[in-house]
Amino acid sequence: MNITPNSSECLDVADLLVDYAEHSLPPAQTAQMAAHVATCPRCQERVAQLQELGTKFEAAEPITPPLALRVNFMAALEREKAALAKPESEVREAKVVRLEPATSEQSGMWWLRIAASLVLLATGVLLGNLWRPLGADVAGISPVATTADSRLGTLKVNPAVPSLSASDRIQLVNEMAGEVKGSADPTVQALINTLNFDPNTNVRLAAGQALYRLRDDPRVREAFVQSLTIQTDPNVQIMLIELLVALRERRAVPELERLSQRRDALPIVRQQAESGLGQLIQI
Amino acid sequence: METRSDEELMAAVQADDLDQVVPLFERYQGPLFNFLYRLTSDYETSQDLTQTVFERLLKYRASYRPGQPFRAWAYQLARNVHTDHWQRQQRMRTADVVEVERKGALGGAAFRHTAAADREQDLHEAMAQLSPAQHEILVLHRFQGFSYEEIADMLGCTAGAAKVKAHRALQALRTIYFN
Repeated sequence: MNITPNSSECLDVADLLVDYAEHSLPPAQTAQMAAHVATCPRCQERVAQLQELGTKFEAAEPITPPLALRVNFMAALEREKAALAKPESEVREAKVVRLEPATSEQSGMWWLRIAASLVLLATGVLLGNLWRPLGADVAGISPVATTADSRLGTLKVNPAVPSLSASDRIQLVNEMAGEVKGSADPTVQALINTLNFDPNTNVRLAAGQALYRLRDDPRVREAFVQSLTIQTDPNVQIMLIELLVALRERRAVPELERLSQRRDALPIVRQQAESGLGQLIQI
Repeated sequence: METRSDEELMAAVQADDLDQVVPLFERYQGPLFNFLYRLTSDYETSQDLTQTVFERLLKYRASYRPGQPFRAWAYQLARNVHTDHWQRQQRMRTADVVEVERKGALGGAAFRHTAAADREQDLHEAMAQLSPAQHEILVLHRFQGFSYEEIADMLGCTAGAAKVKAHRALQALRTIYFN
């Protein structure tokens, strides 16, 4: 390429070159620049390069944040709310339990965890009995119900007010998901029921995320499709759409069509449903 | 449904109505994640840093001045989180030769997440060679859509100075990219 050395004129126009390349100079300066560029191959090349970079910037597409970001943030929000609700001294104590269970206290904690697991399982079982989607597989529930002892009674009185705090339930959901063994594990059904009926949005989000990790279980896909038809919280709706798209679950198409046309749905939910629909239809 | 402004929502959060942070999260998780992704070129790191931004937003809600533009405040939090991260990285780099080698060989692996990222890889690799200040100003202006006036507020300079800085950063990028 024919390259001439930088003239003093090139240096004079250097700071205007970007504006010139992007056509944002006033006419008088544009004419002045054009006159220089016409005679200067080096500046011609620079203008072309700047324009190419500008095109590249414009073509850059935004990247979708990972779903885990939403789930983790909702858990953090729940912790912050719990901290706000409790007096100072309790908060300090609770934080130790929640964030860094000390190994020395592990043995004592075990009982609490087992008891808590039973409570969550029992809630799931109870709610599962209240709500049976048509054709859904509810096998594996009955053996658990017998182990759910007296706490089940307490829950029956008021299933909307479980005795564990939301952040504890989130932690529990994650622990339980990590312990699932085999395809008939009743925990999966308990998690599905938590996804459908836990009164707290953030617990439902955590349950959805936990179930996604257990997606090899055929009940999970079915549950996501069903759950989308009953969820009203936009966060949960968006999560379910994302998960169903990630699973390429075409059975979600009718519900996505319905959601994308609902006038009372939030715009972001409608958009999500539309884009999910677009992706599923392409598959 | 009535849409509340960012500033109204943040004022509510400040008054301990923490659930109002959810719509703010909805509006800003994408932009902030992308901002941090353009700066770090690392998907997992960007997730962690975005999470930290929102956690700090909750934790330090008292430091938000009512009426202050929320977007600028949120990006300021993100810039600080990124600076902390960057400084940590620098310390690790000088302490650990293996880390330098890993960084040096990062290349395509950092961008493997999406097809779009693949297409932009050469651009990002060139941008990563800019000084941190030049890198940031280009990301703010070209990817995040901040005006020179808004950038000037963030950097504590005049709009004219912000524009000159952005243009010089672009020229520096041009030199790296095409040589």
